[in-house]
Amino acid sequence: MDGECVSLLPGVCKVLADSGRSLPDDTSLEKLLDWFTGLSKTGGSLLESCPCLLEFISTVGSNTALDPGVLSFALRLAGLIAAREAGFTVLQERSVVDLVFNPQHWQDAGLWSDPCIRIGWIQGLQNMLQHPKALSFFVQSDLTQLLLQLQADTSLFVASAASQLLGHILLRFQPPPSSRREGTGETAEDHQGTSVEYAAVVVVISEYIQKSLSTEGSTQHRRSVQLLRLLALLLAQAGPPLRDTLLQAVGDALKELVAAGCSQLTLPLMDVILAAHSSCGADKPDRHLSCLLSSMFSVNKPADLIQAAAAFLRRGLHDSDHSVWAVRILLLPLDIVTGRSLLGSKDLDEHRLSTAEELKIKNSCISLLCLCLTNTPHITLLPADLLPCPPGLIVTAVLALLSISSGQNSASSSPTATSCTEVSRNVIGSSKVQKCALEALAALSCCPGGKEKMNEVFTVLLQYLDSPDSDPTVLHKSYLALIKWMSLCTNLSFLTEQLRQDLLSVVRKRVCDVRWEVRDSTVEFVGKAAGVLTSPEEAPEGLPVSTAPLLKEALQDTESYVRASAIGALAQTQWHSWQQGAALTQQQTETVSRLLEILSQDTEGFARRAVVQYFISWFSAVSSHASPSSSISSYPSASLLMNSVRSVLSFGSADLDWEVKVHTLELARLLLDEAFLAEWGYRKSPDSYAGDSERTCRLHTHSRGVESDLAGVLTSLVELGVISALLSGLVDCDRPVALKACRLLIRLRDTVSWDSESQDASAAMATVTRVSCELPGWGWGQEIKKVLESKSSDWASKDCATALILSGADDGDSDQDGGDRMHAGVCEVLRSLGLDERLDILSQSSDHVHNSPLSLLQDILDASAAHTHPNTQPGQEVIVDCY
Amino acid sequence: MAKKPSVYLLWGQQRTNDRKTKRRGSNRVRGCGVSKAYCPKLQINRIKMKLYCLSGHPTLPCNVLKFKSTTIMLDCGLDTTSVLNFLPLPLVHSARLSKLPGWISKDGTVNLEKELKECAGRVFVDSQPEFCVPERELLDLSTIDVILISNYHCMMALPYITEHTGFTGTVYATEPTLQIGRLLMEELVNFMERVPKAQSATCWKNKEIQRILPGPLKDAVDVWIWKRCYSMQEVNSALSKVQLVGYSQKVELFGAVQVSPLSSGYSLGSSNWIIQSHHEKVSYVSGSSLLTTHPQPMDQSSLKNSDVLILTGLTQMPTANPDGMLGEFCSNLAMTIRAGGNVLVPCYSSGVIYDLLECLYQFIDSANLGTTPFYFISPVANSSLEFSQIFAEWLCHNKQSKVYLPEPPFPHAELIQTNKLKHYPSIHGDFSSEFRQPCVVFTGHPSLRFGDVVHFMELWGKSSLNTIIFTEPDFSYLDALAPYQPLAMKCVYCPIDTRLNFHQVSKLLKEVQPLHVVCPEHYTQPPATQSHRSDLMLELQPPPMPYRRCSVLNLPFRRRYERVYILPELANSLVPSEIKPGISVATVSAVLHSKDNKHTLQSIPKPPPVPPSKKRKRVMEEPPVTPAPKPLLSGAVPLEAFLTTLQKHGITEVKVEETADGHILHLQAEDTLIQLEEDGTHIVCDNNEPLRTTLRDLVLRFLQKL
Repeated sequence: MDGECVSLLPGVCKVLADSGRSLPDDTSLEKLLDWFTGLSKTGGSLLESCPCLLEFISTVGSNTALDPGVLSFALRLAGLIAAREAGFTVLQERSVVDLVFNPQHWQDAGLWSDPCIRIGWIQGLQNMLQHPKALSFFVQSDLTQLLLQLQADTSLFVASAASQLLGHILLRFQPPPSSRREGTGETAEDHQGTSVEYAAVVVVISEYIQKSLSTEGSTQHRRSVQLLRLLALLLAQAGPPLRDTLLQAVGDALKELVAAGCSQLTLPLMDVILAAHSSCGADKPDRHLSCLLSSMFSVNKPADLIQAAAAFLRRGLHDSDHSVWAVRILLLPLDIVTGRSLLGSKDLDEHRLSTAEELKIKNSCISLLCLCLTNTPHITLLPADLLPCPPGLIVTAVLALLSISSGQNSASSSPTATSCTEVSRNVIGSSKVQKCALEALAALSCCPGGKEKMNEVFTVLLQYLDSPDSDPTVLHKSYLALIKWMSLCTNLSFLTEQLRQDLLSVVRKRVCDVRWEVRDSTVEFVGKAAGVLTSPEEAPEGLPVSTAPLLKEALQDTESYVRASAIGALAQTQWHSWQQGAALTQQQTETVSRLLEILSQDTEGFARRAVVQYFISWFSAVSSHASPSSSISSYPSASLLMNSVRSVLSFGSADLDWEVKVHTLELARLLLDEAFLAEWGYRKSPDSYAGDSERTCRLHTHSRGVESDLAGVLTSLVELGVISALLSGLVDCDRPVALKACRLLIRLRDTVSWDSESQDASAAMATVTRVSCELPGWGWGQEIKKVLESKSSDWASKDCATALILSGADDGDSDQDGGDRMHAGVCEVLRSLGLDERLDILSQSSDHVHNSPLSLLQDILDASAAHTHPNTQPGQEVIVDCY
Repeated sequence: MAKKPSVYLLWGQQRTNDRKTKRRGSNRVRGCGVSKAYCPKLQINRIKMKLYCLSGHPTLPCNVLKFKSTTIMLDCGLDTTSVLNFLPLPLVHSARLSKLPGWISKDGTVNLEKELKECAGRVFVDSQPEFCVPERELLDLSTIDVILISNYHCMMALPYITEHTGFTGTVYATEPTLQIGRLLMEELVNFMERVPKAQSATCWKNKEIQRILPGPLKDAVDVWIWKRCYSMQEVNSALSKVQLVGYSQKVELFGAVQVSPLSSGYSLGSSNWIIQSHHEKVSYVSGSSLLTTHPQPMDQSSLKNSDVLILTGLTQMPTANPDGMLGEFCSNLAMTIRAGGNVLVPCYSSGVIYDLLECLYQFIDSANLGTTPFYFISPVANSSLEFSQIFAEWLCHNKQSKVYLPEPPFPHAELIQTNKLKHYPSIHGDFSSEFRQPCVVFTGHPSLRFGDVVHFMELWGKSSLNTIIFTEPDFSYLDALAPYQPLAMKCVYCPIDTRLNFHQVSKLLKEVQPLHVVCPEHYTQPPATQSHRSDLMLELQPPPMPYRRCSVLNLPFRRRYERVYILPELANSLVPSEIKPGISVATVSAVLHSKDNKHTLQSIPKPPPVPPSKKRKRVMEEPPVTPAPKPLLSGAVPLEAFLTTLQKHGITEVKVEETADGHILHLQAEDTLIQLEEDGTHIVCDNNEPLRTTLRDLVLRFLQKL
């Protein structure tokens, strides 16, 4: 622990123990407790590192005149200290445990009615109950009954905490399986003692749960839900003895609850049954549990039934009988609405009628269908023997539902067709159903045999995209589904010519939509489609080629999101040609100049960010394809790319938007990588774009003659503007920018630094140090100059401080702000900026000072001091203006 | 229903009727109500309300309501879909149209080469287009007292009704309805008269010949009543009969009913009408919209508590959401212009075009269409654009508030100022010198049979770069395009119909809760092409009463009450006696005086003093012998109790038949009938006076005597 904190802590304890003092705010105690919790978790003993705490707890525990908040804090702290046996023993010796965890003590003081005290008591106990001695104390003090009473506390928080404590006790002190007991250091006597007390607690608690469920199950839903949650938690984590005891105790109560068929309890009940079911394991299914599950699946309330079925399937249990049933229940609404006979001849007649009735009510209809749709993708991936029909038929049914919902088709003729017309009224035009179905359809692209449905899927999705009534979210989801299905193939040749034409015309139309959201989704789709269709050359008139003019048009869009998406999409559509080193076209040149115009002039950050990312993609595509022997310069569009990159670095690093600057630095990173890797033929690792600071390349591992290359590389980086971008980033007021720039500069520094012991050091230095960069006489240039000057004054006595700044204004020119331009040696600058210290500072979060424990302790002391200031009236609050 | 008052009066014997007042009806007074006094038993006769349906077109209605001695025509829409059977009227000579082959029947027996031309596999009538006017034989149009107009689209048949039929009544409409209606009529006349066609085709209308014609001519209905367009003189004469009204203004019709227009939210000055008497209320809903477009929002609350609601003018495109269509319109327009093509928008010169221009005003920049010229060509284009800006009080709140800034309420003013939108009366003149392509042209007529649009169809139809975007829902776009086939031009159908859809109308009816709804039969079943869409029809309880062209409906409610005023001195003389707690009854003998459909009970004038005469003196001294007034009966005969009583009196074989007004009891053994009705009981019993008397006494047992 920080020594300064240790020194302040006694003062803080004094403040807290003093009833007249106030705290800076009501979160201070929580923060303090968090700190102590953190300290105890790291393994140290709280009492050893902060001996004053013992005194504090003893004093506070007996001073019932204190603020209940402080008392509650003391209770929890006491629990934290007593969590270790040693701490527990010390506290017991001082009678602190007996005092503070004795409810009578608080009742006598009239404080028990304060929920703050009750919750402190419960959480303190929970902190403490980590070892057998604590359990013995708990049992011997006869606290179980009180804890059970607190389950029905008027305060929801207290009741919930009490319930958690029950769970904690049962789970924490479970006898370990015999195999695990060896090596834990537990003695047989210990365990025996504990197990007796534990068994007693288990009996009391299970009886309590059983009794409460039976008496309150159908009336007090809130309590029952809480009990069922506790039960589910216990059953999920309980070992066999505890699980069996619990199940035996509550079995009948659960049966009654299931039979009562209360809708609010459906999900909690399912959680309990499923938790028990999964903990039993598939190899020995419990007969009672199976019965309970079957009962849950035979409730004649469609909404409850389908919820239960969905919960069951989500759990992924290997229970084929019930899985078959759950699947059928979940598919039933889809079967009824679409009239597709998904369930075959085995009918759920009874449920069919009630479900059909439920579907006639609009709200129920939509929620049933949505639940059904959400589960369809999962259902299609189940083993074939669990399904009532081939997965392809489910896809067809979802498509039919989409058609019905768009008002295109009616349900196919079936015996229930009459009721279907009533149901379809609820579905027609419901964007909720449409969205749900489109999401399901997207996920169904992975289902076995889905590929055969491709043309049907496209037909429906294109109908949606073409429909004037589709709302923007529906269109967006349609595009997403389309992309998912397109990704099954590398080109569109599997589609009929008509569908391909339709797709193209719908995209052409939607890119002119009145709603920007739709234009945005469309442009995004075009980009993604280009990414998915990896062999566009097979269809020369295909989507990517035909949509390029649309994207160019979208660069002029009035909405910046659309412009940004269009830029992103352009990058995606051009990725292949970049990678393959296709020849430069006039169109591409125009696009690049338009993009640079956007970067320099667009008023919205989104578009400018997208431009930088476009060049990042371009550069990555070209360099990822470059072989170690070839360089970027051998590519047809290299000069355009490198010229553009120079402009991007210049505009991007001077941008007002910090994200643009971070992206610009990312481009700079790629350039650094490329420069050094190409020069020395390093193998590019897959994670080459992942981290900055970790990877450094030291030149001294290489052969002679390298220094001149290094100087050349460095010069080219200076000329490209990489060094300027990094230096301006370093002094940026936005921390992420400065941090990234700092990391990159450190990497660069480490790359160009020489092992001073190397024989070639001086010769190499001479070449490399001659490389200089220009610092503008204003803005970041001045900032860098200031840093350098402050550092050089530190180093005044050293030789290396010479000629950091090689020259001032060489030709008498002055910059716009009147400052002088200057040149500085890159290597010296890198060495002299104190980058490592800077990195340390930048790596810490901006509020690290305010969030430190020291700051917290100081705040508490200061607030108390301010409060006791002679000019301050007692009770007068210190009002701090937050703004 | 009005709360029943606590004092009931019973009628005396004398009535007078002032025949000098209104030419009909005042003697039909029945039921009663006297300044807080009603008489449910005033039985003169029961008047049924009737509705005569003269148009079969649900959105271009023409109905006549006979209500309380007034005859009210509700709208007079002109069904112009008949023009689709005619060849277009080109503005400049069209070689293509003039070379079309004439039609001769397959066997060569019928030769109508001069009247009918074949074009792209269909047969068209080669004469001036004709319109299907409202039915004129169903009732004597000269008896119509007033015509209530809901919106400018629903008045286009006005000259056919008001001229040459003996019509002497008044037409009521709001000012924008009149002014814009006049523009539309003027435009129609101009379109027709600009390219006169002397030929009048009538032979094809011969029933025998029409039968052998190819469709759709063969299936055209009522072709004999199709009429050529009216003249400007007739328009002026018809419109001179219009009297202007404002929203919620109450207009008394002969003291019998009050009519009042309410904002319907569909177009500038569009109205629904309330027709009400003291005790009955009929609402007429026609062409209403709940969307926030340019007109004042719809007044829904005033429609509450109607006895009958006549519902017409729902959307013709229930599946086409106007917002979606507007979006389609814009994107297709932008797509065409970007590809270098022209856009043709056949439209009316008022109405949706204002919204289209407003939408484009916002869209032009985002779609980079700033340099594309927009042309609006119509003989009344200028007036229409200017009129829209001056009817501030008829606009929605947003637009109204702009006027006070002051700013023009519609943004098309700015489009005109910045030269983005230019308007011309026709393609001749200035337009031809300033015409630049690619461009967007708004012009009429949406049927593509006449107007400047015909020229653009001929000009642009051959290029697939161009697009025609249909926005008016009145015509089938396929039929409209039929005489221009084969067509390379792209066609987009974006019908924008802002009128109420079925979902909205169901919600509206739930809120206003009329007792009965009357509507065109189209609304009571799903559209023929979408029979599965049960959501596209009206489902009400009780079911709506459907009508079709030439239907005469007895509206399903009867007038029960009439308000009768009682003069103070007569009221003073009444002596009410309480028959039930809170209900007092008094008999009254009075003279009923009816004038201007107002009924007053006056005291019976005292007989003039007889001049003294010696001879008669003795007689005069004796009190006049007046027969004791017969007790007045009230109440109803309860059927079950009456049957029991009959049984007790040995009459067991009784066959009970339910009738519209009550029950008929057939005493089979006695061969006697007892008709028990709400307002009377008849015992039909031949030659058995004792039985009749017994039965009469049994009936009387159940009635109260006053």
